[in-house]
Amino acid sequence: MITIENLEKVYKTEEIETTALNGINLHVATGEFVSIMGPSGCGKSTLLNVMGLLDKPESGSYKFIDTELLTLNDRERSNFRKRNMGFVFQNFNLIDELTVFENIELPLIYNKVPAGERKKLVNEIIGRMNIVNRSGHFPQQLSGGQQQRVAVARALVTKPKLVLADEPTGNLDSTHGNEVMELLCELNETGTTIVMVTHSSHDASFSNRIINLKDGHVISEKINKGKTEELI
Amino acid sequence: MFKLNLKIALRNLWKNKGYTFINVIGLSIGMASCILIFLFIRYQLSFDEGIKNEDRIYRFVTEWKYDAFDDYSNAVAIPAVKVAKNEIAGIEKSAAIFRRWSILRVKDASGKDLFKQDETIYYVEPDFFDIFGMRWLTAKPTQALSQPNTVALSETAAQQYFGNAQTAIGKTVTMANNTPLKVSGVFKDMPKNSSFPLNIMVSYETYPDKNGDCWDCVSSGNEFYVLLKEGLTAKDIEGSLAQFNKKNYADRKVAGNQVNKMEALRDIHFSEHYDNFSYNTISKTEIYGLAIIALFLIVTACINFVNLSTAQAINRAKEVGVRKVMGSLRKQLMLQFLTETFLVTLAAMLIACVLAELAIPQMENLFKGTVSIGLFQHPVIFVFMLLLVLFVGLLAGFYPAVVMSGFTPALAIKNKITLNTGGLSLRKILVVVQFSIAIILIISTIVVMRQMQYVQQKQLGFNANEVMMISLPNDSLSRLKHESFKERLLKIPGVNKVSFCQDAPLSPNINSSDFAFNGIKNKDFEVRRMKADEDYFDLFDLKLIAGKLFAKSDTANGYVVNETFLKKVHITNPQDALGKMINSTGQNIPIIGVIKDFNDLSLKENISGLTISAGKTSYWRAAIKLDTKQLFVADKKVEALWNSIFPNYIYYSKFVNENINGQYETEKVMGILFKVFAGVIIFISFIGLFGLMSFVATQRTKEMAIRKVLGATTFELVKMLNGSFLLMVFIANLVAWPVAYLIVNGWLNGFAYRMELNVWPFVLAMLITMFITLLTVSIRSYKAAVANTIDALKYE
Repeated sequence: MITIENLEKVYKTEEIETTALNGINLHVATGEFVSIMGPSGCGKSTLLNVMGLLDKPESGSYKFIDTELLTLNDRERSNFRKRNMGFVFQNFNLIDELTVFENIELPLIYNKVPAGERKKLVNEIIGRMNIVNRSGHFPQQLSGGQQQRVAVARALVTKPKLVLADEPTGNLDSTHGNEVMELLCELNETGTTIVMVTHSSHDASFSNRIINLKDGHVISEKINKGKTEELI
Repeated sequence: MFKLNLKIALRNLWKNKGYTFINVIGLSIGMASCILIFLFIRYQLSFDEGIKNEDRIYRFVTEWKYDAFDDYSNAVAIPAVKVAKNEIAGIEKSAAIFRRWSILRVKDASGKDLFKQDETIYYVEPDFFDIFGMRWLTAKPTQALSQPNTVALSETAAQQYFGNAQTAIGKTVTMANNTPLKVSGVFKDMPKNSSFPLNIMVSYETYPDKNGDCWDCVSSGNEFYVLLKEGLTAKDIEGSLAQFNKKNYADRKVAGNQVNKMEALRDIHFSEHYDNFSYNTISKTEIYGLAIIALFLIVTACINFVNLSTAQAINRAKEVGVRKVMGSLRKQLMLQFLTETFLVTLAAMLIACVLAELAIPQMENLFKGTVSIGLFQHPVIFVFMLLLVLFVGLLAGFYPAVVMSGFTPALAIKNKITLNTGGLSLRKILVVVQFSIAIILIISTIVVMRQMQYVQQKQLGFNANEVMMISLPNDSLSRLKHESFKERLLKIPGVNKVSFCQDAPLSPNINSSDFAFNGIKNKDFEVRRMKADEDYFDLFDLKLIAGKLFAKSDTANGYVVNETFLKKVHITNPQDALGKMINSTGQNIPIIGVIKDFNDLSLKENISGLTISAGKTSYWRAAIKLDTKQLFVADKKVEALWNSIFPNYIYYSKFVNENINGQYETEKVMGILFKVFAGVIIFISFIGLFGLMSFVATQRTKEMAIRKVLGATTFELVKMLNGSFLLMVFIANLVAWPVAYLIVNGWLNGFAYRMELNVWPFVLAMLITMFITLLTVSIRSYKAAVANTIDALKYE
């Protein structure tokens, strides 16, 4: 599904230049669940941002199925993102002024889904995520685990081909963290490709493949056997 | 999508109640002021509008070009009225309209007065009604005012005299004591926004001096209007008018290069040189000035909005990031932020309407009823409000929308957005602009107030304390009673001195005329000819510096002149002037005395060259110097005596000082307006500053806590937070000073007598703004500095 070649990304300030991604090559197959790990500052979040079209690299190629994405302009990136990708963040990133229902509905609105259809889809996912009795609440009124469920629900409601998760359990205790990981696994089992950035080996153990980054390079790749076998 | 945006907007505004309040209040006060200024300007621009053929109606005015000065009059010489239509090609209709004052009476069958009142009357030629398309309430009189002794009344006058319009027709009104006028028509009242406050229009045929043939006598009440033929403008008949001027003035050797010019009807209200019957003019400069103040007000309020929105932008970063990740386009985000701005602007507009409605009566009061405005008077007001909302919404909302919608999503979702780190941020520039505007207005207000004080306290060169001017009937019969009236007045206890005269020393109601000095025609200036009896000098304490005063006489037997007159005829030693002849009346009369200069006109004008002489037929006023202690009693007794001697006339009295102060009414109103608008701008600026300070204090909570842990005192923290704000206001002062200097100096130049402009108004403005800034920001910075350190660190 994803083929990345020679990806380079440099951050410049007045005084220093930091190379965040240094010639990354990567392939992610459809239906795969990939974890990206590495120490702080190794470039894993930058890589995720580039994959999510939230950031532009200096050079390289990024193909999604057969489309080269790095040549798209802002509007095209926006359109591509909303049709194909869902995001889950460490800090949930729910909009405080919107209720749970409205937060989940938001990507559907941007995808111009008719109101009746939207209601149906949101209710469906709210049911799946087990947050039915919270749909009228505002984010601040929910626990961290509940907020992340909403965030996952929001990422899934458009049925994206790819879900990008940036330390999805980073702000959660282990019980809630596990719940979220199970949710992602269930999702992966239904065929959605997932790329997840994480610090936690425990979380990474839920994925099929673990990619290790250091100083902007891919230093190793590890197949998670148990999971792969399950997949086979 | 719109619904959702609206929801987010409302919830966001509610969440930041404090800032929303500051924005809404600032905007609504700014908008209310703008609406009021717009209503006022629209009202002024509506003067004399809607008259059929308004673009073909012109007023004839007169101009003089002397060697040393130009003079202007709204009026024309009487013979011009008679010949203009025949001598100037292109005039379809013409009509004279002469203003006079007279007592009008309505009597019952037995001859008893039902009604008696001093009224302004207008002698008009019949075509006036056609030119101005006057609307008749009764059937249109076929020969309206073509006959002598006929009168047309306004609806109000007809009601006042006879109950209603229909009963008035055919009835008789008596003018002065014995001129009967038959009511031949009743016309609809003139609107308030008219330069023609016409109530009583008497046929021109009744006017006693209608056959006057003096080409160089121009009396300010004698106006003349023409209707040009279809398709013609003033330009088209310039040539013909020039010939007319040559034939009637130049060829007749009329002094001062006198000419007639034409002024369009719709320019009358905005005329700077020419007065009109309503005494109500406003220059286009003043209108532009007001419009600029309105713009200042709204820009100041918008600056608050921009500053607070961009300051808060960081708080919105996450939302922007999430929306972009979800697929929102920049356009959609901008639309969302603009929706918020428009929501605030709309709320502000509603409040502004209420505020404006509340302020309208005060404003009408301020202008003493000469202004009549309403919020729902005209559809154009709604258009203005709509445009104002759009203008403010875009002005205030566009920049924040551009900034916020431009956040990079990857940084925004991690709250890593930073705005304006160091350097000269737009926000700082806007605060400086905002305060510069406020400071300019503060300085202007101080200068206007000081100048008014100066004008009121300036020694005018005569003493008018406790001097009352009363009316003095001056027809031949009344004149016979003058002598005994004066004697009896002086017998009233509390009456110290009495003089019969044309008017008080400082008066606009004195004629001026060209003259010959020692047999040589003067081409430099006109001399003002004041008429007064021999007691005038002592009563007003006018100081003689050479020669003597004139002896008691009914007519001029010698002139007393002022120093300015001598200066203008180039005589340095007053003694040298004595015995020199002045001829301004067809008769050579010697100068017999010279008095010290006094201000004979408002302080906006220089002292004129002046002659004072006896002239019984011009004594329209009696000046009475009263004893301070018996002021009230004497006043009543004077009135009683007057009524017993002149029973057919109407008594009028006013203290001279009241009249003099009345001359600065416009400046007084301007002073009040400046005070109000300066107050509004200061208020808006400071609530904005308070909001900004609150924001900065919140942003720097963690930094302050760390500094405190490291040993900073509360005072040091307050100083740190206040510093940048005080610096901005200081810079604003430096920016404002030169601009303010140009403005106030220009205004003061309009006064011949002006206060000295020193540095104090500027320093005072700086002290005021720095002090209020210190107070405003300290309230908030102190609160931040004493906040619990642990909470702040934990919170972060």
